Amino acid sequence: MRCERRILRYHSLKRGRVRQTWNKYNLFNLFRMRDRKGNFGTFFQQKWHAKAATRAYHGEHIKEKQWERMFSRRLLSAVNMDPAYMAKYDGSEQAAGRGSGRDVKPGRSEKNVARNTGNAEGMTPYMQMTFAPQERRLDISVFRALFASSARQARQFVIHGAVKVNGKKMQHPGYLLNPGDLFQVDPEKVMIATGRKKTSKSESSSTPKTPTPEEDAEPAEETAEAAEQSAEELSPEQLKAQHLDGLKQLHQHARKIIEENKDKLSGGHKKEIRELSKKIKEAMNRARKVGTDVQETGDDMENLASLMSELELTPAERAELRQQQQAEAPAAEAPTNPSTPDYPQLRTRTPVPTAQTKFDMVESQILKRLLEEEKINPWDPSKPYATPWRPRPYMSAFAFIPRYLEVNPKICAAVYLRHPVARPGKTEIPTPFNMHTSQLAFNWYLRRR
Amino acid sequence: MPPRIRNSNCPPQQLLLNYLDAPLPSSLLPVHRPAAVASSSTPSPCRPQQQSAAAPQRCFSTSQPREMTKPQREFRQFLKHAGKQFEKHVGNGPMYLSSVKSMGADDVPFPSNKMFRSEPVLSSRARQIIWEAVMLKGMPLKAVSAQYQVDVRRVAAVVRLMEIEKRMEKENAPMAIPYALAVEKMLPRSNLTGDEQPFEPINDVHVHSFTMQQLFVPVSESREFTRKDAAKAFGDHILPPDHKMRIPELVKMERDILNDVPQAQAEKDFLARTRQSEREFAEKEKYVADKRDARKSKVDTERFEFRIEKINSEAVGKKGRARGAVGWRYGVPFNDRQRGLYKIPTSVG
Repeated sequence: MRCERRILRYHSLKRGRVRQTWNKYNLFNLFRMRDRKGNFGTFFQQKWHAKAATRAYHGEHIKEKQWERMFSRRLLSAVNMDPAYMAKYDGSEQAAGRGSGRDVKPGRSEKNVARNTGNAEGMTPYMQMTFAPQERRLDISVFRALFASSARQARQFVIHGAVKVNGKKMQHPGYLLNPGDLFQVDPEKVMIATGRKKTSKSESSSTPKTPTPEEDAEPAEETAEAAEQSAEELSPEQLKAQHLDGLKQLHQHARKIIEENKDKLSGGHKKEIRELSKKIKEAMNRARKVGTDVQETGDDMENLASLMSELELTPAERAELRQQQQAEAPAAEAPTNPSTPDYPQLRTRTPVPTAQTKFDMVESQILKRLLEEEKINPWDPSKPYATPWRPRPYMSAFAFIPRYLEVNPKICAAVYLRHPVARPGKTEIPTPFNMHTSQLAFNWYLRRR
Repeated sequence: MPPRIRNSNCPPQQLLLNYLDAPLPSSLLPVHRPAAVASSSTPSPCRPQQQSAAAPQRCFSTSQPREMTKPQREFRQFLKHAGKQFEKHVGNGPMYLSSVKSMGADDVPFPSNKMFRSEPVLSSRARQIIWEAVMLKGMPLKAVSAQYQVDVRRVAAVVRLMEIEKRMEKENAPMAIPYALAVEKMLPRSNLTGDEQPFEPINDVHVHSFTMQQLFVPVSESREFTRKDAAKAFGDHILPPDHKMRIPELVKMERDILNDVPQAQAEKDFLARTRQSEREFAEKEKYVADKRDARKSKVDTERFEFRIEKINSEAVGKKGRARGAVGWRYGVPFNDRQRGLYKIPTSVG
């Protein structure tokens, strides 16, 4: 049995329907949505158009028949009662005088006028509550809690078993949440849904090679003796910390270069710097991993340092240096070193600036912060989303959490506190339509057409 | 006779040579072969000049390429100008379309609907404050609610979620920390510092549909017509708002203050009353649970605990399908696989 409606030209620019997604086409459609001025046809036509527009947004994946069954003409609202007012008055002051309260004489202070405070000004927008019953659905609540980038994706999460209600797996997207229900989505799924997509270019170019035992063994023979000596003296942890420090300093140096010559650098140069800082990050990751060979991290340091020293040179100087290196190391030697295909300048010993560079407090603080970020949001090519995790584009324009939910984004869980209500001056139903359109849609579903 | 190649001004041998010399598709190349790549990028000496200088790829279609439609063009323009700022979230706060449309309000996500505003959420610090107040200081939920102007149900939910969070932290379970940080930056939020607007109304009274009608009740002019009388007029079962207050202790406190009880004493009494009401609620729950357990007789074997309860097998309703009825009955078709029947659970316990 087919339970879902088909998607036909979902983000059509021609029809310009607004949908429950964070898509950029949807943002554009929302941007150019205009309120229809005046009455444009028969009442039936107006209702028809209002229904079509609102249903394209509100649960367009729900069949019409199903929604008709869900629809309720009972619209919920709430009013705040101020305890101070309740204590002072028993309500009889509203029936005083001729039956609708005494008039306040002009010029008298309003201090003694009975007033129930705590409510916003304005009428209660009941008509914006037309689609309130849908907000109880599990899939739509998952979308509203910002755990999925569209209602359809939320529905898929539910069907695929990534959503739990009160600790039990719930696979019905049409489950109507009861007040107090706690739903939880698999954090990994949420990261996929809300994160940037992995592009083959950005990820494949920077994929680190996982060191195989053979590769580890080879550089051990030819790397610097200094590292070997220090390895004997210091414990592995200390050594690792030392290498990490070096990497930190390098990272700092790269940042400094970028900061200082922001507008002087050429495009290619900038690109190189960016690549370098990426490599430093990778190296830091590798160094931090438990059980990584100290030797390897030492290698990384050297490679990066040499890259860095090159970056500071002008293009002409760099070309010169390259020529020198080529002259020193014959081209035939390059492919014999399979452990380091990414860094051709690896084995050349250029002066390393790391040890000599001085860092002030601010810089070290920045670096500390960077490392903290790195720790909680690591670069990990095994993830199905771009890492380090970043929010997907155009997400912020759609990011809001309605008041009937209490969300804890860290654990990707939320509680459905109560049914959404209308209050004086505001509604809790997120709907992109004005009250007139919602009212016409409400009238359509009253079935007196 | 060898096959002839029409319109070709180079002999077949030459073509073959060209093929051999042409750069291989990248998928066929080994990943790291700088030598091979270098040789393929340089023009080969045996390639005839006229080949490279020949006309570009022949176009088989004579029709003009399709132009962009107006909406497509506008969409491109939008992404370049008005929509540019939404691509990447910067700053520390919400960013909605209303900011582009210069409406004067920054918290309206849908420009056409000013009635829906993106209201602040509790920040992670605020959630920690609430959790500490309830779990460490042991304050009653109603008192926490009144102090921070946060709905009681939300206070309970925050504590519940924080407990799960702490348990997951202890278990080292995967969490979406970068996501949480990013989302928190995108939303308006409240730290519950007290110097801002109250977070939300805490004494909500649901508007009963019976009270939404207009009613004409003739009463004498001398009569005091109070909220209680009004509720009675709308229906016998309609409660006055005094009975529907979520934190009635707050009203009592205000009444005390009106009766010249010192503020500090009134607040102290309020705390005691909320604590008392919470205790009473817990006792009531316990009483119900105990009573439920008392109906069952327990037989504890080594492996299982059998819980035996008396039931009335006759109480199956008119059609034999009553909700509370127990067990399978003969003669009544079991139709839970029938089409069109609602099979989704209505509650998860």
